[in-house]
Amino acid sequence: MKNDIVLREVCKFMIPAIQLYAVYIILHGHISPGGGFAGGTILSCSFIIAHLVFGRDYVKSKFNFNLLIKIMSICLIIYGIIKMYSFLTSGTHLPHPPIGVPGNILSGGFILPLNILVGIIVACVMYIVFDLFMEGGK
Amino acid sequence: MGIVTNYFETCSIILFGVGFATLMFHRNLIKKIIGMNIMDTAVFLFFIAKGYISGKEAPIITNSYKGIEGYVNPVPTALMLTGIVVAVSTTAFALALTIKLHEKYGTIDLDEIIRMKGD
Amino acid sequence: MYKYFPLINVFVLMITAFTIPIVRKKKIARELSIFSNAVILILSIFILVNVISIGDFHYKAGYPNTFFGIDWYIGSIESVLSVLFAFVSLLIVIYSYKSIEHEVPNEKIDFYYILLNLLLASLLGIIYTNDLFNSYVFIEVSTLASCGIIVIKDKKANIKATIKYLIMSTVGSGLILMAIAYIYSLTGHLNMSLIHEVIIKNYTQYPNSVLIILVLFTVGLGVKSAMFPLHGWLPDAHSSAPTPSSALLSGLVIKVYAFTLIKILYRVFSFSIVNETIILNVIILLGSCGMIFGSIMAITQKELKRMVAYSSIAQMGYVFFGIGLGTPAGVATAVFHIVGHAVTKSALFLCSGLMIEKVGSKKISDLKGIGKEMPLALVLFTLGAFSMIGIPILPGFISKWYLSLACIEINRLSLVIIILTSSILNVIYYFPIIINGFFGHENLEGKVYKSKSVSIDRMLPIIFLMTAMVLVGGFSKNILNFISTAF
Repeated sequence: MKNDIVLREVCKFMIPAIQLYAVYIILHGHISPGGGFAGGTILSCSFIIAHLVFGRDYVKSKFNFNLLIKIMSICLIIYGIIKMYSFLTSGTHLPHPPIGVPGNILSGGFILPLNILVGIIVACVMYIVFDLFMEGGK
Repeated sequence: MGIVTNYFETCSIILFGVGFATLMFHRNLIKKIIGMNIMDTAVFLFFIAKGYISGKEAPIITNSYKGIEGYVNPVPTALMLTGIVVAVSTTAFALALTIKLHEKYGTIDLDEIIRMKGD
Repeated sequence: MYKYFPLINVFVLMITAFTIPIVRKKKIARELSIFSNAVILILSIFILVNVISIGDFHYKAGYPNTFFGIDWYIGSIESVLSVLFAFVSLLIVIYSYKSIEHEVPNEKIDFYYILLNLLLASLLGIIYTNDLFNSYVFIEVSTLASCGIIVIKDKKANIKATIKYLIMSTVGSGLILMAIAYIYSLTGHLNMSLIHEVIIKNYTQYPNSVLIILVLFTVGLGVKSAMFPLHGWLPDAHSSAPTPSSALLSGLVIKVYAFTLIKILYRVFSFSIVNETIILNVIILLGSCGMIFGSIMAITQKELKRMVAYSSIAQMGYVFFGIGLGTPAGVATAVFHIVGHAVTKSALFLCSGLMIEKVGSKKISDLKGIGKEMPLALVLFTLGAFSMIGIPILPGFISKWYLSLACIEINRLSLVIIILTSSILNVIYYFPIIINGFFGHENLEGKVYKSKSVSIDRMLPIIFLMTAMVLVGGFSKNILNFISTAF
């Protein structure tokens, strides 16, 4: 599959488009359906396609495993701290409808920052799980 | 007659039974994991059918807010999103364990594995 | 301010868990884990003091004044259990500081501490929560984490035990989720207090639905807490796991599901509703069978850790027996037994882990004469075994005593016989180890007094656990009175 020129050329166009779509879904999570989980899954799909078409080494050259785990942990910690802050100040992160203005980050409370963090976490986890299965599970 | 009119619930209970039987009585581990997924999906269907009120919109505010009466109950949907995440992680873990079992024992038949002596 | 402490407990554990993969150093991972556990213990003691002086309290995460925020309720039982869990887990983590390298591959040690912290966080979450779906999520997290701390040893037997445990737990989780769906469709709430209000008014119209919900919850949580016919996974899982994991699993994890069952039977429903159904008779029957059968199976075992694991099944039988009595006294005694048994069984597992490690064999027959080589370890083991058998003052005796009193109170004298039989069976399997350990002469040649004994600092957590056990026995009256205020 790695030597199929049609596949490789098509994927060169496809992968950025998929990633752009994923980022759009994540960033619009506070005003439309979607959000962190859906967007993160799509983002991880783009990594998986790159893995399948260009090979594992190509993806590894962009970001290796330890880096992914570290990004994920940092995101989880930030997520935890934001959540703790909003819980301790009795839940102001969920706004009452009507909600959210495009372009204004905090217009939906903490929903947008949390969505971005969730998106990154889901993308990392999905790709790590996929990679583990491809390698035969360590 | 309740069985015919509440077809969502009937269907999900049947699916739950199918999944439960697959999980309990199949020896093949992959089939067991599939049964587990069917069982979870049945509960998701049951839950989401509970939140649906006919003739009302999905709880997404597009142009203007219509008040509480305009939308279906969003709580079951939100819960089931969590449920799906949980089911995905359990499935991934079970599959990873199955791969390891196959490495160590050379089979994924649970009865055979139990009959073999561990170290 | 103390109202935020339960939430801070869970958050501290989760955040320290995810700090470990960033640093990726074994030493720091251990110290972080010990530090976070110590913080949890201090905060839990604060919660307990506040509950004693001021009274129980609710904490709402999310919207404070609506019905759909996640509600946490901390009453007397919750505060006692959270102190207990933090205490036991702190001592187990301290024990694992020196001994985990013998059992877990070197590169996975930091991962082990992530799982330990996540497990304790989810257990505390299950205890505190007053919301059914929230407790389902925490139950799933705890199941995955406890599977993780079994499989981390990476031996054949571990993987087999884990897949058995995972399959059985999945059946349980499916049933619990179905029960939650049922109860949600019946009442429209997930908050336990609100469900209680609705169900107390309307349960006469839905007798069958109430029974189905109760059966689903009992079987689902029964699988996870090793209720008698559903216990098949426990001996394998608990005996093959690394020693600190077995102590944690047997001491804390199976208890928390039994406590969830108590919450559902007596907080979501109530004594009067549950007493009208047949579910209590089923629970008491299964509990009695577990008491007898677990002890008989323990007698036939040839490996020390398997024997202690079967003893756990028997002891869970006492908890279900207490739940099944259906009176406030019985349930309070069940909770007291959870407290006493958690301390005792984790100490027993740690002790047997030390002995197995030094002797180099899992077999009970190879442990003859161990008392000459490791006197202190065997003395501690004996103390724990005495509590299991029911020597007065120790908590095992006190829970049996109050269970018998609760039986007499509702005129079911025949049940006392089951408790007595089970105690005698306990003697049969614990005494041979102790007697052979102290007085066995068969393979004593070439063994020197205290030759294999371990340094005192590795024994220190066990000594603390045993001291706590004696204190639990000594202050049993106060603890029981405090627990009884919840009903």
